[in-house]
Amino acid sequence: MSSRKQPKGKIRPPKKPNSADAQFNDNWDRLAQAIREIHKKNASILSFEELYRNAYNMVLHKNGDKLYNGVREVITQHLEEVAVSQVVPAFPLSGASSSQTNPNGAGGANFLKVLKTVWEDHTTCMLMIRDILMYMDRVYAKTANVPLVYDLGLDLFRDTIVRSQNYPIQNHLLEVLLQQIKLERENEIIDRTNVKASIDMLLELTDASTKDTVYATDFENKFLETSSEYYRVEGQMLVGEYDAPEYMKKVDKRLNEEEQRVRHYLSQTTEPKIRNIVEEELISKHLKTVIEMENSGLIPMLRNEKMDDLGRMYKLFGRVVKGHDEMKSAISDYIRELGKAINETVTSNTTAEGGNAASGDKQTGATVAVRWVQEVLDLKDKFDKVQNLALSNDKAFQTSFNEAFEYFINKNSKSPEFISLFIDDNLKKGLKGKTEEEVDSVLDKTITLFRFIGEKDVFERYYKQHLAKRLLLGRSVSDDAERGMIGKLKVECGYQFTTKLEGMFNDMRISSDTMTDFKEYLDKSVLEKPKLDLSVTVLTSTFWPMNLSASPRCNLPPELTKACGTFQNFYLGRHSGRRLTWQSNMGTADIRGSFKARKHELNVSTYQMVILLMFNDKQDGESLSYEQIKGESDIPEADLKRNLQSLACAKYKILVKEPKGKEINPGDQFNFNNDFTAPLQRIKIQTVASKVESEGERKETREKVEEARKHQTEAAIVRIMKDRKTMEHNLLIAEVVKQLQSRFMPNPALIKKRIEALIEREYLERATGDRRVYNYLA
Amino acid sequence: HHGLLKDFTLILDDADDYNVIIQVGENQNIKEFRAHSVILRARSLYFKSALSSNWVTKKDNMIIFSKPNLTPIIFDMVLRYIYTGELDLTEQSGENILNLLVASDELLLEELFIHVQNY
Repeated sequence: MSSRKQPKGKIRPPKKPNSADAQFNDNWDRLAQAIREIHKKNASILSFEELYRNAYNMVLHKNGDKLYNGVREVITQHLEEVAVSQVVPAFPLSGASSSQTNPNGAGGANFLKVLKTVWEDHTTCMLMIRDILMYMDRVYAKTANVPLVYDLGLDLFRDTIVRSQNYPIQNHLLEVLLQQIKLERENEIIDRTNVKASIDMLLELTDASTKDTVYATDFENKFLETSSEYYRVEGQMLVGEYDAPEYMKKVDKRLNEEEQRVRHYLSQTTEPKIRNIVEEELISKHLKTVIEMENSGLIPMLRNEKMDDLGRMYKLFGRVVKGHDEMKSAISDYIRELGKAINETVTSNTTAEGGNAASGDKQTGATVAVRWVQEVLDLKDKFDKVQNLALSNDKAFQTSFNEAFEYFINKNSKSPEFISLFIDDNLKKGLKGKTEEEVDSVLDKTITLFRFIGEKDVFERYYKQHLAKRLLLGRSVSDDAERGMIGKLKVECGYQFTTKLEGMFNDMRISSDTMTDFKEYLDKSVLEKPKLDLSVTVLTSTFWPMNLSASPRCNLPPELTKACGTFQNFYLGRHSGRRLTWQSNMGTADIRGSFKARKHELNVSTYQMVILLMFNDKQDGESLSYEQIKGESDIPEADLKRNLQSLACAKYKILVKEPKGKEINPGDQFNFNNDFTAPLQRIKIQTVASKVESEGERKETREKVEEARKHQTEAAIVRIMKDRKTMEHNLLIAEVVKQLQSRFMPNPALIKKRIEALIEREYLERATGDRRVYNYLA
Repeated sequence: HHGLLKDFTLILDDADDYNVIIQVGENQNIKEFRAHSVILRARSLYFKSALSSNWVTKKDNMIIFSKPNLTPIIFDMVLRYIYTGELDLTEQSGENILNLLVASDELLLEELFIHVQNY
């Protein structure tokens, strides 16, 4: 461009006859006059071509600076006039410092309206001035490094009107804007167009020093400060006056309003800032208060399953840093509290019903277990629902809830047994009239509880026991259901556990085949046929949970002993090298009893059969003492008591006990109850059904578990050392814990003992230089 | 673009739907050009402003624009350049070329200015 301004001799503008000065004055006078006409909205009388040419000539003749300064002067003058004649008279009556005397803001609205007109006039005029001074903009402004004329107009407007040194326009403007916003916050209808016009004006003006908009430098901070104060007061008022759901609705509404406000007439850059303020003043500062509001806070919402309110709280509190943490910990505490209550009802029930359980009501124990699991499941359901409907399935919440469940479930030391009993209850034949699908879904849920158990090995032990009883007593609902459950467990604890369970099923199947063969064998053989139908289930000792080392004592009646012998010969003839041990504690028998009224078929346990057969030799009214029965049958004491209870103290009283009572004590006398009546022909005497263990049994189970843990710990140590060959003590402990913790939490002292045992048995040795390092001995 | 160029020349020479009459020159040397405001405004910032609703004067629904300080010869070249983006200077006298340079500067036709200057 500069080449145009400094033509190198060849290119020169045509010389005009007038002298340069006169030409300049003439040109400028016309232009100044034209600008005034533009300001008076009289542009239609002006000729663009002429004015443009005037400006062009002035710039061409190096009078660009004079032109530029002249334009500045004319515009400034005009704006000064506008300030005096239009803006100042429109000041709201209340004055700059007391907006409260002007409650409806009409004066303010009018002021904004005037300002809007003034601004629009100014920009329209400036566009026209820019048109005729286009040559000046293009040629002079660039080289002189001054703002283009339109921008010059903006700066002049900023300094002469918006930030006038002579009139408090700025104060009025800011105050009116803030007042209008305040009115709108208090549900007054304001004219947003006028507010928006002023805001847009401030956005178009630039602050010279910061290069930021005048909106940002003059307005925004004031707006944010006022808003902070406004919401600080409002927050205090709201928490005092409203309950939690109402409070949150108000906050929601406020957030929404502020967002709308920004969208309608403020700058988008303000959106995060004002949002932060509302969040800070209305949420952060009152988090705890709202959560803990009596009768309406978080816990009452959970109690009454107010999903909408919970969802609102989740969304709202998620906006601030601590919000979800506070909610999470409050809910988790609540879960723990509810869990504790469930545990407590169970403990009080078991102690209260301890007497009943001992008195022969064998269902009660199991009922407590089932109820405990059911209550835990209900609780889980409740919080799954909360999680699903109100918490957007937030993983962090889920983790925290799980920890809470884990905590209280493991607080109940019987939880592994209870959960196994619950499953037992659901897999038993002909119970509850639930469909297969219902049972399946219950079991699925139960598996989630299983995951929370710390001592999985204890659960496994109980599960095996309960399964064994279901299988041997023929009470399992179906193979499919059992296998389904085992499938679920396999996913959770791996195949080592479930292969044994599958082995149990296998034994059942093979035994059924064996019995068919046995019958054929008897039919063909010349042996004397047993006087009773014998059914034998052969169990592989490693798969089943029975204590086989000490085979339970019991003197069986001679016919039975004989039948057993026949089977034993048959079986061992086919499988040489095997050893059979009779588990009479697990058997059942169908016997016929003749009573005065009628005959009944009794389904009893093997022990009960042994006891009842003793009365065959007795006269009517002749009794047997506890000691006699014990001596003759040789049944272990605990089993004997339990079976006598079933016969003499339960629903069907086949025996009469003297003295009466629910407990079996030494010295008790038993009589055959000839007067027994029952509506059904076939009677099932409740056998040793699954139930919560007595203290003694529990101790026994504990010991077995501890024993198993020793083996598992040693196995883990050997496995690790075989792989690493040499290892430092602490690292070894850590590795062992890591391998075992999915089943139980081994304590370091136990591991240390096992290491020492292995050193003794020369699997390991201490390294010669360092006593804390072990070597593996192949 | 050859076809386009030809068509635009045709629009200029055979304008039957023009809406601007431009009176060019002074005294005896006056000529009226017929043109289309849409093309003028699209191609030149000068005309974009000059023919904007703020400034335009109309007579019988026709925009009248007067440009006295240019000669018809020069303006014809300007107009041709505006319509086609091309201008053959080979037949032109030195004085015409110089005046064209001045005119293109005044009307802020930068491309034309460079084109002429280079020539």
